Amino acid sequence: MTAIELRGVTKEFADVTAVRDLDLTVEEGEVYGFLGPNGAGKSTTIDMVLDLVRPTAGTVRVLEQDATADGVAIRQRTGVLPDGFSVYDRLTGRQHVEFAVRSKEADDDPDALLDRVGLLDDAGRTAGGYSKGMRQRLALAMALAGDPDLLILDEPSSGLDPAGAKEMREIVRAEADRGATVFFSSHILEQVEAVCDRVGILREGDLVAEDSVAGLREAVGGEETLEIAVGDDADADAVAAVRDLDGVSRVDRDGDALVVSCADGAKTRVIGALEDAGVAVADFHTREASLEDLFLAYTEGDAPGAGGEDPGEEGVDDTDEADAGDIGDTGDADDTDEHEEVGR
Amino acid sequence: MSLPAIAEKDFQDTVRSRGMLILVALFSLLVAVFAYVFAPPGEQFATEFLLSAAVGPFLVTTLVPLVGVVVGYNAVSGERESGSLKLLLSLPHSRADVVFGKVAGRGAALSLAVFAGFLLPAVVLFALAQLGYIQAFNVGSYLGYTVFAAVLGVVFVAIAVGCSAAARTQRQALIGGVATYVLFVMLWGAITGRFLGAAGDAGLIGPLPVSQQQISVFLQVANPITGVELLSNAFLGGQLLSGEAVNQQISAVSMLVFWTIAPPLAGLWKFDTDDL
Repeated sequence: MTAIELRGVTKEFADVTAVRDLDLTVEEGEVYGFLGPNGAGKSTTIDMVLDLVRPTAGTVRVLEQDATADGVAIRQRTGVLPDGFSVYDRLTGRQHVEFAVRSKEADDDPDALLDRVGLLDDAGRTAGGYSKGMRQRLALAMALAGDPDLLILDEPSSGLDPAGAKEMREIVRAEADRGATVFFSSHILEQVEAVCDRVGILREGDLVAEDSVAGLREAVGGEETLEIAVGDDADADAVAAVRDLDGVSRVDRDGDALVVSCADGAKTRVIGALEDAGVAVADFHTREASLEDLFLAYTEGDAPGAGGEDPGEEGVDDTDEADAGDIGDTGDADDTDEHEEVGR
Repeated sequence: MSLPAIAEKDFQDTVRSRGMLILVALFSLLVAVFAYVFAPPGEQFATEFLLSAAVGPFLVTTLVPLVGVVVGYNAVSGERESGSLKLLLSLPHSRADVVFGKVAGRGAALSLAVFAGFLLPAVVLFALAQLGYIQAFNVGSYLGYTVFAAVLGVVFVAIAVGCSAAARTQRQALIGGVATYVLFVMLWGAITGRFLGAAGDAGLIGPLPVSQQQISVFLQVANPITGVELLSNAFLGGQLLSGEAVNQQISAVSMLVFWTIAPPLAGLWKFDTDDL
């Protein structure tokens, strides 16, 4: 069974085509990350799934029903955390959740939902005084009402601090474990990798890639990045020797280390060449291409899946850092480089 | 059926606004001033006279419709601009539920303001009557009249919510609401008179199975303000839905129902096809 099915969906606004002939399938029970830079058409797509926007062409089916004709029935079984929403300033947090529970004809205890998102202590305050993060939590509590079969979360982490973003991911996992399908959009890549079974990347209204994170990584190219601690030993000759090796695409000097991008099998040859050149290799480790590299490869590269984009080029992260927001998560001991998340 | 849930939420939201207290205070103050001016202590006091000669023309038929427009105009467009409409429509509500839920919720809130505003001075008048300072205060007439005032308010809330649903922005909704107000309060007689005159001159009325007089009367009661005036005066005179003018009254009632339902429907027709 499919939770969300878009077939040949196009949406043209007066001045721009936001989505172009989009086919998208989200299977029941999976966690699907919908990725793309700002302005790629993510929100328009989600708005069409929610029947806030009607497609110019194509069909949108949600939970096997027509998004427009059966919108109310669909939303009865769907929890939504919209993007760019606002709350009712004069109503309390509890009143908001009570309204959601009543609207869905559910029998949840509003306080239990508020507790789940960490908002119970502020439940009696009017939502007008809530911070952005609290409003986000409030909308999540409303979305969770009625144990929905499908959760649609549009940029769920916006406005949340790292701890809040982590709680958000834990709730997503818990909902997925319960059997719910989760569809969420983000431009924050690490969060997608941390929870998603499958990822779709949208670029200028086209779905340019759709796969598991591992699959995408493979498609971008089997390159890995070697970081070799060489101290002051490595002179220009040694660097040139490494650069001349088969399978090595790039060598950069980074302080006391050499950063080498090379094919999977070339690792031993690189170390060997360095030792032949009289360089003492103190330590080395490999890094996988980070999601950010993948993302840039798909959203800025000339052709989707082309390995030409160098995955080690900039802002390289160790993917073990996937839970970037986790405070106190020491992760891999090799994780020394700080990184910026795109678009934050 | 989620209309009641929306109506209740909107009612809660509206009655918590500061404007509600101001409204109640304003209504109370004006009724009290009229009672004092038109029926000084010790003189003949006629509840019906106070209502039909003072409260009616100065408060009910001018201020109440305006308040209805103010309460209703941002019902949908306001939520659309702020983004809370996304939160609302992410729950299992149809757009029809939203529009008519708003009419019900805001209509109820306005009615509450009218009742509270009218009843506070009524309690004082009632006490004065009991103490003998003024002659009999007719509680029945007063309460009944308050119902008509609330009905007129609800009609204008419905018209304004209709404008609000059709509008893309708050400004459009406000312009639509105020234009309707100006039309019914100030321009209706002149416009319909001209229309009728022109139609008569062009010989359009002759072939119709109704007289020019009948059309003229219909156009009068088609204005919800005139309609409520007609009905409330009939009520105060003990002639409600009876006597010679019963047909006219039925027309007035029909038109009030029409104005409560048609504008929200028209607004919904546009709102339902919009991208939000």
